[in-house]
Amino acid sequence: MVKRLLRRNETYLCFVVIAFCATVTAVNPAFFTLQNFFDLLHDSSGSAILAVGFLVILLSGGIDVSFPAVAIMGQYIAVKALIALHVSSLALALAISCGVGLVFGAVNAFFISFFNISTLIVTLGTSGLFYGAMLQVLGSAGVYASVLPNCFKVFGRTNVFQLKTLTGSSYGLSVFALVLAGVVILSWIILRRTLLGRVIYAMGGNMEAVRRSGVNIRAIQFFMYCYMGLLAGVMGVMSGSLIQYSDPTYIVDTELLPVLAGVMLGGASIMGGAGTITGTLLGMALIALLEKNLVLLGIPSYWDQFFVGVVLVVGVSVTHIQRRIRGRRQLSLLRE
Amino acid sequence: MNTKRSNNLTLLVLFVLVSGVMVVSLPTIFPSLRNMQNMGRQLPEYGLLALANMLAMITGGIDLSVVSITSLSGVLAGLVLSSYQTIGLPTDLTIGIAIAVALCAAFLCGIFNGALVAFAGVPAIIATLGSNGLFLGVAVVLTKGAGIIGFPPAFLFFGNGNVLGIPTQFLIFVVVASLVGLLLNKTTQGFRMVMYGTNPLVSRFSGINNEMVVVKTYILSALLSGIAAIIMISGVNSVRPGYGSDYLLLSVLIAVMGGTDPAGGFGTTLGVVLAIFVLQVLQSGLVILGFSPFFRKSAFGFLLLLIVVFQFYRSRYFQLRLSSAAAREKLQV
Amino acid sequence: MADNVLEVKHIFKAYQGVQALRDVSLSVGRGEVHCLVGENGSGKSTLIKVIGGVVAPDRGEIVIGGRAHARLQAIEAIREGIQIIYQDLSLYPNLSVSENISLNQMIEKGVRLTTRKKMQALAAKGLEEIGETIDLDERVENLSIARKQIVAITRALTQGAKLIIMDEPTTAITRGEVEHLFSVISGLKARGISIVFVSHKLSEVFEIAESVTVLRDGNKVGDYPAAELDDAKLTFLMTGQSFTSSPYRFDETRRGEPPLLEVRGLTKTGQFTDISFSLWPGEILGIVGLVGSGRTEVALTLFGLNSRDAGTILMDGKPVDVKSPEEAAKLGIAYLPEDRLNQGLFVARAIGDNIVVTILKSLLSRLRLIDRPKRREVENRWIERLKIKTPTAAAAAFGLSGGNQQRVVLAKWLATEPRVFILDGPTVGIDISSKSNIHEIIRNLAEHGMAIVMISDEIPEVLRNCNRILVMRKGRIEREIRNVHEMTEERLFDVVTARRPEEVQ
Repeated sequence: MVKRLLRRNETYLCFVVIAFCATVTAVNPAFFTLQNFFDLLHDSSGSAILAVGFLVILLSGGIDVSFPAVAIMGQYIAVKALIALHVSSLALALAISCGVGLVFGAVNAFFISFFNISTLIVTLGTSGLFYGAMLQVLGSAGVYASVLPNCFKVFGRTNVFQLKTLTGSSYGLSVFALVLAGVVILSWIILRRTLLGRVIYAMGGNMEAVRRSGVNIRAIQFFMYCYMGLLAGVMGVMSGSLIQYSDPTYIVDTELLPVLAGVMLGGASIMGGAGTITGTLLGMALIALLEKNLVLLGIPSYWDQFFVGVVLVVGVSVTHIQRRIRGRRQLSLLRE
Repeated sequence: MNTKRSNNLTLLVLFVLVSGVMVVSLPTIFPSLRNMQNMGRQLPEYGLLALANMLAMITGGIDLSVVSITSLSGVLAGLVLSSYQTIGLPTDLTIGIAIAVALCAAFLCGIFNGALVAFAGVPAIIATLGSNGLFLGVAVVLTKGAGIIGFPPAFLFFGNGNVLGIPTQFLIFVVVASLVGLLLNKTTQGFRMVMYGTNPLVSRFSGINNEMVVVKTYILSALLSGIAAIIMISGVNSVRPGYGSDYLLLSVLIAVMGGTDPAGGFGTTLGVVLAIFVLQVLQSGLVILGFSPFFRKSAFGFLLLLIVVFQFYRSRYFQLRLSSAAAREKLQV
Repeated sequence: MADNVLEVKHIFKAYQGVQALRDVSLSVGRGEVHCLVGENGSGKSTLIKVIGGVVAPDRGEIVIGGRAHARLQAIEAIREGIQIIYQDLSLYPNLSVSENISLNQMIEKGVRLTTRKKMQALAAKGLEEIGETIDLDERVENLSIARKQIVAITRALTQGAKLIIMDEPTTAITRGEVEHLFSVISGLKARGISIVFVSHKLSEVFEIAESVTVLRDGNKVGDYPAAELDDAKLTFLMTGQSFTSSPYRFDETRRGEPPLLEVRGLTKTGQFTDISFSLWPGEILGIVGLVGSGRTEVALTLFGLNSRDAGTILMDGKPVDVKSPEEAAKLGIAYLPEDRLNQGLFVARAIGDNIVVTILKSLLSRLRLIDRPKRREVENRWIERLKIKTPTAAAAAFGLSGGNQQRVVLAKWLATEPRVFILDGPTVGIDISSKSNIHEIIRNLAEHGMAIVMISDEIPEVLRNCNRILVMRKGRIEREIRNVHEMTEERLFDVVTARRPEEVQ
């Protein structure tokens, strides 16, 4: 049992996360508080949801770089629609945002499954096409808090429960954490308990064999890319609610690299077939900690980027050098 | 062979078509000298990065760190340039040093990427994603997150000057693109890159030093980014880490549109240069016609999908012809 | 013949005007082991695909269990109990043994929800039925090829197979494993399951099959009881020609000269131990041994692709350290790998590119650029010398037949003017008729003073072309055979497989 644990990437990642937390706490005890933890969850749940969706695609051997565009489109279209309709309904906002995500995902899946084009290229193309079209039609003006439909503001501030600090200010666990938990459980069930999930893993291992098994690969591709779109739609609404502002140029530049980095650190293979939800969440946690908590160590925030880079480079190098050494023993350095 | 040529032909037709539409709809403005110069000024920045990604893709890799390398080399060159009044060296020498520093920095970045891919065995897409963060991080730390301004006026020649009415950076681009073409068609490194990209295992069994080929590829790709950095900071007379981040996906997109196979082994300089021209004509035309930059983005995405779908049908056609030829041959023997 | 599991009647199939199958019929009885043999391109794989419903025939019908189909869908074939095990086995390397066994079955039944336990139960039951034990949680990529085969067979059985078609199942496994596989097959036979065995390795055909169907050029040559066939007769049926050749004679007086290559005490833990031999110019030295005997590993060490723990390699009496293929090439050592399509040839590239890749440096002009006319001249010279059938050097290697492709790989290395040429499986996957041409080229090279090492699975090939043979087993040189012309195929086969250990002593 211990041996199995020690073979797993997640175990080491867990150590790194704990070590990081210990270091920060030693320097600045303000880190190790429930409040800081809750804040971190509030800020990072959205990215973690994207990462889980991205993992599903990666497991099948694909890649999807369109999710930031999907998220922001879902959010902005939902905000604009709600303003135009003069309603403030979270359900409607989510329905619109997720609907945008589903359509987007279906278009991606269409190009991928019917034309057999590289998934990277397809998602690069569709995100440019749709995102540009949306901005052309709807404009690119940000929607400020004063105009933002109330449901977003409420959603961003709602807590599951409230606590009070020693100084008397109140804080709580955001509903975002519940949304994340829901997504994690659903995705875990899909990947671990359904045949679909096993087939997704199998696709990343040997696509040709899956094809021969008679399974409807096209349907699975539609499912995966739509699922990613759906999660991006949810994240879009959460992101707008978090910052209480809807800027159509926001998520596009900021989410792609951290999510990719987190999933990679979590031990998922870019070739598909390997990776776990636990690893992905740990990887995202490490990225979030690095991005948001270096300040507590007294390091100026302009160092953030540098440390994220160092961790990513070291993390992936160690994994791959390990794999290479293991491979060399079996004379498979000949396998490129 | 045929596929390569016909892809370039498609792009040429597309180029003529798009140019034709622009000339017809904007008969006075589009073909004007001013517009030509403008296009010549804009295209080299991302054009060089697209060539950089083409080289990486030919070996079956990708270079996601091109923009960060421009940031890092730009910042280092900027630090030298902005101190031209304090260090008291002749201006020309300072500029020379700045360019050398930028290219050296790019060179080192290239070695770093190459080592990660070749020796640590990290897939290029993750390796360069990581180094992308790292290089940008170093650049941000060097400037403490701020920008650098105030370069010697003579330096602005690279990004704003003309030679015989032709923008300097366009001339630089033409020279560099020709060198890249020469590299791929006429040098051992170019030949080995293509062979390595086609099948790394066969390449190893053919006595090719795979690691050296890969490291050199990423050095070349980084050097192209370094040259882009000089043009870029000269053009805007300042440097800010992260400037031009839009160019990253654009450079990948152009490389693919130019007929480079992301799986490795195939790609031509001419194809990529044609793709750059198509995009530039489209971009300038749409700006003059009053379309927003967003529409341009949309049009690029559409074009990319159009071309890859077209490539899909064409390759299927060629495959049919090839396989029937192969079958016929086999039955004859 | 009411008891036939499968009957294929008068099948025709053409691809873009090329007739791949012409009026081919085949019937397989219940519990029968049937062999399908033919050269590459004879239509074997097309026929399998027709039976599996992957390819639709142009004419003819397929009768399964008494029901006739003009056009069979892949999923129907599976439901009718036909399972094809392709050479690559179609397993999922990143999934566990139990998942591999149970997944396809669950897909077929349309199961949606599952647990590890359910999958394990299914897999355990399947393995038990054929009396095998494999760790159910082990990832398939960590298993040996023979174990993977067992997993694939178990998967086929749990899907209700009545007929299992195995495509070249014995090419990559050791003799002992082949015997194990055959015992598993006998077990299946006893349960009334039929097996179609597709092979081009002649000797095995007799061992397991009851009847043999021979294909040639898309035509059926005929059905024969296995007992009536022997090697020579089968070769004749498959190729339409018979081959005779005299053994290669080496001028033994040359052994007075110092050897060109000397290997002393070469050892790598876990791969090979204490390998020593010498090689003289003009020799063709055969190395035979089962897969896993360490023969390829030794060759890779000489070529700089594998390290060594101990021992020395000498060229012209001087110790050399070969660290990479590049250095090997400089020393005059060339290596033709066994896996032509993945290691030897850039299939997607031009024939000319393939030929000059090893000698780029010699093509440079004074400006250090590749000189095109020089390049063309070299390419055309080799195409002509090795008689590679192509209209132009610019044609892709993809379109060539196996024999011509192998000539391109030979040309690639001959261009470096090697002094020692190691050939690992020089005629693997090549038609019998082209084989003798390749052999002729090799013997010609040796006659002109090149030292050749020929590693091969095929005992007749080694016997006919080598003047000296080393037999390797379990990483050691078991025996050196100098008087090759006195050796028979049967005796060498027994030495290699250690069937009669007393004779080896």
